Amino acid sequence: MSSSLAGVQDNTIEDPTTRPTLVLGQNDFASVTDKVCRIAERGGATRAWKIAFTASVATTLMLFGMIVYLISTGVGVWGNNNPVGWAWPIVNFVFWVGIGHAGTLISAILYLFRQRWRTSINRFAEAMTIFAVICALVFPGIHVGRPWLAWWLFPLPYPQNMWPNFRSPLLWDVFAVGTYFTVSLLFWYVGLIPDIATIRDRATTKIRRVLYGFFALGWRGSHRHWHRYEVAYMILAALATPLVLSVHSVVSFDFATSQLPGWHTTIFPPYFVAGAIFSGFAMVLTLMIPCRTIFGMQDLVTMRHLENMCRILLATGMMVGYAYSIEFFIAWYSGNPYEGFTFLNRAFGPYAWAYWIMVSCNVVAPQFFWFKKIRTTPWMMVVVAIFVNIGMWFERFVITVTSLSRDFLPSSWAYFKPTTIDILTFTGSFGLFFSLFLLFCRFLPVVAISEVKAVMPQAHPHHHDDHQAHAEEARA
Amino acid sequence: MSSLNNDRSTYWRSLDELARNDYFRRQLENEFPGQESDEDLPSSVSRRRFLQLLGASAALAGMTACRWEDEKILPYAARPDGTEPGAARHFASMMELGGVAQPLLVTSRDGRPNKVEGNPDHPMVRGSSSVFAQALMLGLCDPERSKNPRRRDGEAAGWAEFSAFLADRLAALGGQQGRGLAILADLSSSPTMARLRREILAKFPAARFVQSAPVDRANEIEGSRLAYGRELRSIFRLEAARRIVSLDCDLFGLHPDAQRLSRDWARGRDPKREMNRLYAIESGYSTTGACADHRLQLKPSRALAFLSAVESVLAGGEATGLGKDEAEFASALARDLAAHAGAALIAVGRHLPAGVHALAHRLNERLGAPGKTVDYIAEPDRGDQDLKGLVAQMSSGAIDTLLILGANPVYASPAALEFAAALAKVPHSVHLGLHHDETARAATWHLPMAHDLECWGDALAWDGSLVVAQPLIAPLYDGRSAIEVVALLAGEERPGRELVRTTWSQGHGSDDRAWRHLIHDGFDKDGAARIETAKLRDFDPMTANAAPTGAFELVFQPSPAVWDGRFANNGWLQELPDFMSKLTWDNALMMAAADADRLELTTGSMVRLKRGERQLDCAVYVMPGQAPGTLGLALGYGRREAGNVGGSLSREIGAPGFDAYAIQEASGAALAAVVVEKIDGCHELAATQSHHAIDEIGMKGREERLGQLIREADLEEYEKHPDFARHVVHHPELESLWKSPLPEDGKRWGMAIDLNKCVGCNACVVGCQAENNIPVVGKADVLKGREMHWIRIDRYFRGDIAAPEVVQQPVACQHCENAPCEQVCPVAATMHSHEGLNDMVYNRCVGTRYCANNCPYKVRRFNFFNYHKELKEAKNESLKMAFNPEVTVRARGVMEKCTYCVQRIASARQESRNSGRPIADGDIVSACQQACPSEAIVFGDLNDRDAAVRHLHEDSRSYALLEELNVKPRTQYLARVRNPNPELAKDKS
Repeated sequence: MSSSLAGVQDNTIEDPTTRPTLVLGQNDFASVTDKVCRIAERGGATRAWKIAFTASVATTLMLFGMIVYLISTGVGVWGNNNPVGWAWPIVNFVFWVGIGHAGTLISAILYLFRQRWRTSINRFAEAMTIFAVICALVFPGIHVGRPWLAWWLFPLPYPQNMWPNFRSPLLWDVFAVGTYFTVSLLFWYVGLIPDIATIRDRATTKIRRVLYGFFALGWRGSHRHWHRYEVAYMILAALATPLVLSVHSVVSFDFATSQLPGWHTTIFPPYFVAGAIFSGFAMVLTLMIPCRTIFGMQDLVTMRHLENMCRILLATGMMVGYAYSIEFFIAWYSGNPYEGFTFLNRAFGPYAWAYWIMVSCNVVAPQFFWFKKIRTTPWMMVVVAIFVNIGMWFERFVITVTSLSRDFLPSSWAYFKPTTIDILTFTGSFGLFFSLFLLFCRFLPVVAISEVKAVMPQAHPHHHDDHQAHAEEARA
Repeated sequence: MSSLNNDRSTYWRSLDELARNDYFRRQLENEFPGQESDEDLPSSVSRRRFLQLLGASAALAGMTACRWEDEKILPYAARPDGTEPGAARHFASMMELGGVAQPLLVTSRDGRPNKVEGNPDHPMVRGSSSVFAQALMLGLCDPERSKNPRRRDGEAAGWAEFSAFLADRLAALGGQQGRGLAILADLSSSPTMARLRREILAKFPAARFVQSAPVDRANEIEGSRLAYGRELRSIFRLEAARRIVSLDCDLFGLHPDAQRLSRDWARGRDPKREMNRLYAIESGYSTTGACADHRLQLKPSRALAFLSAVESVLAGGEATGLGKDEAEFASALARDLAAHAGAALIAVGRHLPAGVHALAHRLNERLGAPGKTVDYIAEPDRGDQDLKGLVAQMSSGAIDTLLILGANPVYASPAALEFAAALAKVPHSVHLGLHHDETARAATWHLPMAHDLECWGDALAWDGSLVVAQPLIAPLYDGRSAIEVVALLAGEERPGRELVRTTWSQGHGSDDRAWRHLIHDGFDKDGAARIETAKLRDFDPMTANAAPTGAFELVFQPSPAVWDGRFANNGWLQELPDFMSKLTWDNALMMAAADADRLELTTGSMVRLKRGERQLDCAVYVMPGQAPGTLGLALGYGRREAGNVGGSLSREIGAPGFDAYAIQEASGAALAAVVVEKIDGCHELAATQSHHAIDEIGMKGREERLGQLIREADLEEYEKHPDFARHVVHHPELESLWKSPLPEDGKRWGMAIDLNKCVGCNACVVGCQAENNIPVVGKADVLKGREMHWIRIDRYFRGDIAAPEVVQQPVACQHCENAPCEQVCPVAATMHSHEGLNDMVYNRCVGTRYCANNCPYKVRRFNFFNYHKELKEAKNESLKMAFNPEVTVRARGVMEKCTYCVQRIASARQESRNSGRPIADGDIVSACQQACPSEAIVFGDLNDRDAAVRHLHEDSRSYALLEELNVKPRTQYLARVRNPNPELAKDKS
């Protein structure tokens, strides 16, 4: 890894006078196209890919097995009990939805803010978003007691003439996550069209030509196409932007609008959104760093990209840390004895271990990113990012389970213990995630080729004379 | 054939007609077909003869009423006139436990019993009932009941074969006046059983007829003999008592008269009137101790010393022979009693030695209790109770034929008695029982017994009144009652009804109307036993103080759930949380925290109990408030052959709990001195409320909020601030953003629960389970916290673990007007009715469990599995009978909770609409309210100015649980007011 970087210019240096280079190495348009497309065109899958894919599919099958067992037996196969009505499945749901946040944030918000460095990572992040939301959507469906009736949550006109309860945040959840998934999928797909067309054009076999051709929707790269594409992309970005904020706010309403101490908090919407961005970026880092090495994309996904993401992690990590502390402050300041108890119980009660795992992973671990050395050393970033992933799962666990396990009446307090089925189902969802992810790596352009080209120096109309002029000015 | 078809134009009625044969022609000519000869014609009867026949017919027509009524009980194949399908009908009946009748009223629908309640007319229960009565339905429907007679060699046989066998044995033994014949029956006060016993003993003078049970009242009776020279029963009049002392006597729990005692005590707990004061002196917690104003921990062996000290203070002396605290308690108690002479009483527990009972009688005399707070009636004839003697005879081979009727001595007798070994020496043994249990397997014959709800019977209630049982259904299996089998011995093979009626008519003649009244009422209204007056004798209580002493004194109590083990196969009872430990599916050794610390034990640790050569391994439960040096262990667990629920060795189904009989003394004494040794291992105890494994934070949090959840005050404080309960939690004015959508007029259902009256007896819990088809989830799911009870009794200890105060609070759905559960259900499966009920629409529920999360009272229960799976199996068909047809059986994945017994509201509404009479206060009684012996639960219409529930809601003591959440619960609690003795209260502070 370092050998390929050796001798290459360091684009992490902050020099306000120059725009940092976002594509390194001796790359031109053709080499970028080639580098990205080659990954999706490799004649046969590599051995490593095959092993990884087999393992992922096996894990996915285990997930399906768990679901079949669950549906045939009952929710009792999990550890949920009477006070703790929601446990791992909901924790997993919020975890995956949170991960699914980074993609749209990178694609939409950074796009609108003209953060050009997003181009190398947005495709990747968006794909991750889609897959994470798919994993997330598995859980609410199977989580209910009678999954075969889960469709009653949708407002469908059917003979019972019964509408869902629009006062229930769970229903808002259905709309919020559903919309988010739809828009994210569209956004991703629209962005993919020019690149799919590129692969189609390079295709050597008929089947590839037909399949990529089908999904390229007849893209010819005409000016009119580009024009419409840009408009559509902009509109979708504008649509997706509020969704980034809304989806996790609405997920947080599930908790915030209830009257359970520990859930009933007004800080939840921003806190959840910050947490989601935090976890999403951590997951992007976790996946992207190995991928860029494996696929040899260090020139496209540069150290500067990674460093930027580390900075975002550091920032959102501190937001989350702030939320943790302000929760405690409000619990004390409000004078509500039940809320005060809940927070003391979180930090020092039977679930203290989970709370302190959460704090160490989410608040302490990102602090290492103050050091540039760590921000620019890929393996160290992966380690921190994995800690953040773990921490964010525990955050949802702490919120969901510890609050429920001890609420108002001490007679009903109980400790929650997960079952093997809980653990295997969660593990299985990773299988699903990675299966989809590996398919993506194998068949689709993992970097937005057309967009990356747009941020290359060559794309600038005055690229060649500009440099000259600046240099002369400086000399004069 | 051609001849038949020659005339196509005519219709024919038969082949004969068609063929026009001779027979047809003759028929055609005969004016009266069917009468072949003239002799059959009426003309042959003379006028005189005709009138004779006419008269005889008229006379004999009346005679049909003189026959015994036909006993056939048939299913409804066709609807009989005047019956309404599905409508509830009520029949008085009875169950007997420990030789005392519990009068019942059984609801029956379409000829099937459905729900058991107490007989509302009987002064003993007044409609309330015990957990055992409430669980009777499930016992009836137990699919594992024994279904047919069988011999030990495995051959199924019939009753006819048994009769032949019995006749054979009787013929063989009859010659020797019945020598070698023995009958061992369950303890019973049945006059019919007593009559048959006398008849049998008259017929076979050398035979033995023993009536015995592991839980008896021998000490108590012996005590009265010591004090009065007679067998007397004390009837406590708690309504007249201002000072009540319970010396290890569980007046409100295990006492045979617990329902009436609870009610009378609770009526004296209204702080607006003069309140009674209850002292409990006991080793381990009883329901009575939990209700007491003062509780003293005392070793059973010290009971006599304590009472003697009280006596000496009453006589003007000092409390001697006691420790400092005990002496102070005894002196204060004695002074308080003396100040309330004539309105005080002392009750002594059945397991304490006879001397203590006798001394209590003497003290009661001194306090002027007889005739005021205690009445005496003669103890009914109990016959021979010498089980030990019988076993000795059996072992010596003197018994040739033994009949065991309704008892299970192979399990339910002290292991030291070695009943099983003795039984093996009896060549012919017969067991009559509900189950093919331990004794059935050891006897040469087993006969299925008819269940209490399947047979006729009679017994005496605690007050001595005759209570009769009538069957609600024909025996489901080929069962007969104990009296029917005993009657076989006496030589009369007659149905139970005749046997009971014969007994009754011996005292009352053959008055049919009176008999019908008796059956209708279920008991003899004028039949309460005569109040006896007896003269106290001079005696020394020390002569009968055989209380063993040792490092640990162990008290064997009947289990408040499975009694002596006879209800072990009843899932409702096995899963019933113990009133104090909240344990289900187990008994455990109750141990004081100090002892547990010393032996390095915690709840769930295994110990070995040793008494001489006998030993028992069992799990420990560290019980706050247990007297150090004492242990408590409930009987009735660790069954070897009870069934799928209660455990079965032959089917390798582990039994819940530990068999306390294993270390009981041969005499069956309820006290034993034992040695405790720690052994390796740990036993998982399934409690519905965990309290010991609690951390510092949790303990502190609980302490802080306890006073808000369960509000209580001393009488003194109450008198100063009668509305103290309303000022416990300070919160801003509770306002609503919108107008309540509930209509102001119409019904507003609500409930009030008086914490001052609740004794925590659990009757409501089982009553609710029986009424509302609540499933049993099993120990594994209770361990996970998935029990389904719609009403639970929260129990909290307050203060020092060594000597805590106990508070209890029944909690069911509070039917919040502003229900948090309703707002969060995404599919609108839980909605508000216009009468303010928080309704659950089961078939709309998808099971998100969000409602349960948002319920601050945590009363919602989720069907994590299909808990009715076993109903699909054909062998469990009978279990379906235990369900209330008025209540939906919930599917898997559905949330459920207390409905305020909406089905009862609906049926009252229907009745009111049909009759045009408005629903009056008291017409609707929820199942928990109905079962409650102490009248702590009241349900009704809050819009009715005169409704009892309205008055209670307006009472200064009433408060809503967690009202600061602004959920506006419809259930309100009435704060508890303790009435401490100022002298003792001062000491404490």
